[in-house]
Amino acid sequence: MAIGADEMQAFLDGWQRLLAARCAEADVRRVMETPEGFDRALWGEIAALGITGLIVAPEHGGVGGGATELERVMEAAGAALLPSPLLSSGVLAAGLLGALGDAEAAARLLPGIADGSRIATVALTGPRARWIEDDVAVTAAPAGNGWQLDGAAAFVTHAEVADLLLVVARAPDGLGVFEVDPAAVATNALPAFDRTLRMADLTFAGTPATRLAGAIPAWEAVEAALDLARVAIAGEQAGGTRRVFEMTVDYAKARHQFGRAIGGFQAIKHMAADLLLESESCTSAARHAAERLAAGAEDAPQAIALAAFACADAFVHTTAQAIQMHGGIAFTWAHPAHLYLRRARADAQLFGTSDAYRERFVQALEQAR
Amino acid sequence: MTDDELIAETRAFLAANWAPGRKSSGEAYGRHPDSDFLQRVLDAGFAVPTWPRESWGRGLSAAQGKLIEREFAAAGAPGAGQDRSNLWANTAAAHAQPDFRSHIVPLLLTGRVGMCLLYSEPGAGSDLAGVRTRADRDGDDYVINGQKVWTSGAADADYGMLICRTDWDVPKHKGLSFFFLPMQQPGIDVRPLRQITDEAHFNEVFITDARVPAANMLGKPGDGWRVLMTALAYERSVMGDAARGPRSGKAGPKGDAALVELAREAGMLEDPVVRQEIARVTAYKILNRLNNARAKADMAQGNSSPIMSLGKLAMSRILHSEAALRTRLLGPQSMLEGPQHPCAEDANFLTLNAYFTSIGGGTDQIQRNIIGERVLGLPKEPELDRELPFREVKAG
Repeated sequence: MAIGADEMQAFLDGWQRLLAARCAEADVRRVMETPEGFDRALWGEIAALGITGLIVAPEHGGVGGGATELERVMEAAGAALLPSPLLSSGVLAAGLLGALGDAEAAARLLPGIADGSRIATVALTGPRARWIEDDVAVTAAPAGNGWQLDGAAAFVTHAEVADLLLVVARAPDGLGVFEVDPAAVATNALPAFDRTLRMADLTFAGTPATRLAGAIPAWEAVEAALDLARVAIAGEQAGGTRRVFEMTVDYAKARHQFGRAIGGFQAIKHMAADLLLESESCTSAARHAAERLAAGAEDAPQAIALAAFACADAFVHTTAQAIQMHGGIAFTWAHPAHLYLRRARADAQLFGTSDAYRERFVQALEQAR
Repeated sequence: MTDDELIAETRAFLAANWAPGRKSSGEAYGRHPDSDFLQRVLDAGFAVPTWPRESWGRGLSAAQGKLIEREFAAAGAPGAGQDRSNLWANTAAAHAQPDFRSHIVPLLLTGRVGMCLLYSEPGAGSDLAGVRTRADRDGDDYVINGQKVWTSGAADADYGMLICRTDWDVPKHKGLSFFFLPMQQPGIDVRPLRQITDEAHFNEVFITDARVPAANMLGKPGDGWRVLMTALAYERSVMGDAARGPRSGKAGPKGDAALVELAREAGMLEDPVVRQEIARVTAYKILNRLNNARAKADMAQGNSSPIMSLGKLAMSRILHSEAALRTRLLGPQSMLEGPQHPCAEDANFLTLNAYFTSIGGGTDQIQRNIIGERVLGLPKEPELDRELPFREVKAG
């Protein structure tokens, strides 16, 4: 990682300024109602800042950052509820291409992902949607000089706006990663409870595809990309949790009932104290996972699994409590609390549930002894 | 004096006075077995180096004080850093009257007097300013009557740090006074207090017409609350034994995989519900550790951290949830006790002793008030009795 601490802080400051100026609540609400679900002009500026290429290697036009930088960037994005294909393109797809080791494909595809001109996403789970190897439900068969794909992929994020699809499919010789033109795929957009999110189910029927070469087994590359995505989501959850918590404490000081600020009532004050513990623990878990992943540490899987369930649960719990603590005002559409709850509930499913990550965590503990 | 000179001097002192590898059994309620060595530490100015020269110190900076502490710690020698850790000496040095101060502080710094705390009462727990133990002036003495509770080390103590009421006609915080009460006298009756764990680590102290010289008062009459705040700030250092391990004496598995091992031993490791709970409880432990590490890093950079206030809540959650999980692993075995059933003994002890942390030193509920008010800036609890003359405050 070539970025120094001061440089990183300046980078984050610039990122936060951009989000404050261009991704305020009103912007989120406007953009989430558009069909594409993100602001292309803002996307250009995000790219210009280096965010879309954050984890892309410098030789492919990226910044060459790692998990720790990604986590911090996502904290700010999560606090602002940024609607964008950043996770799909700049993290999952960029991470997969980076991990896979197909030099030709990386040189051809990563520069566009890094400069934002190409939006990519990864189709990697079937309808069972556990984001595990067993659930891959697309098969690949040789066809002429290339391949053709059949089957289904579920919950593919930002598939509708993608210029490039990377599809994980079962070939006769094992799992592979395939490059597919999204135009050739039947795309069924899914109505998302988190209005800032875009997802689709994809159906492949003799769909032409190009197989990417892999220096490592395909699922290992997928796991490497998923680890980055897990850390990115943990960062998003930490940022979102903190923002909602602060919003709620501010409201508890401002809102008066019975002649007193409601934060003076222990019923509210004690909830707030408990949420401080949630919020701080969430940040600690996310940053720790990022550090361990960046360091290539042996305990990285344990740290990532811990962050995956601890941060998911903290974000859902905090946003849910925030609505309760606000009372009626947060039951209105106009109040932002539900937007965070919606994001929290989506983040708690992508890419695996808390229960599943708790199981992974225990498996890591068993192996560590 | 440069840092290097200070380190050299400290090392020379330790080389001359402390046998390498010697173990110190440590201070308990004021008394220390190595008091002769502590006298030499005091004479050399290493006991409280950040205090001024005229008060047993050398006027060093906190950073230089830390250097001395580090050398002592490396040698395993006791007695340094008492300017940060000695609750008794710090309180006395800050507030005692001159004659008593010169008498008592050296004794406290050399571990020559046994001490105890006479704060809580049956009617004043969370609301400590509501104490009703009274001190009435009689010539050069005060006469003390009342009852204290949760006192450790009371039976052997030479002095108790006592908060009591000297004025009943002013609001509750304003009528308190603070004494070093001589404990070995007829009017003091110390009775062990049997806890829910069936142990007795604390005492009740019944005080009937006990006498204390007015010269032993810290601060002025009515200053007691302010003195108490000084003392409470230093109390953490003697409350270090908060979370105790299982009682069976069996070490048991350690580390992050400890609960995995316990579940394996219990034949429950394949139970998916148990596995979820193992993850939950282990996560609480690791998150607390990560939070503390992050707080330390923040503090090292000179920033304050809200996390410092969260440790107690986090620890309560860990202890109660771990005890519940251990109970779950045992099932009906948890109905048993006694040396034949060490696992049940452990689980049941941990279940009950978790309250030591969630109630002791201020309940979790009071801690949530403190976090809400001091960390998050939420409005303070209304106190209906704050401005009333104490005589009119409702009790019971």
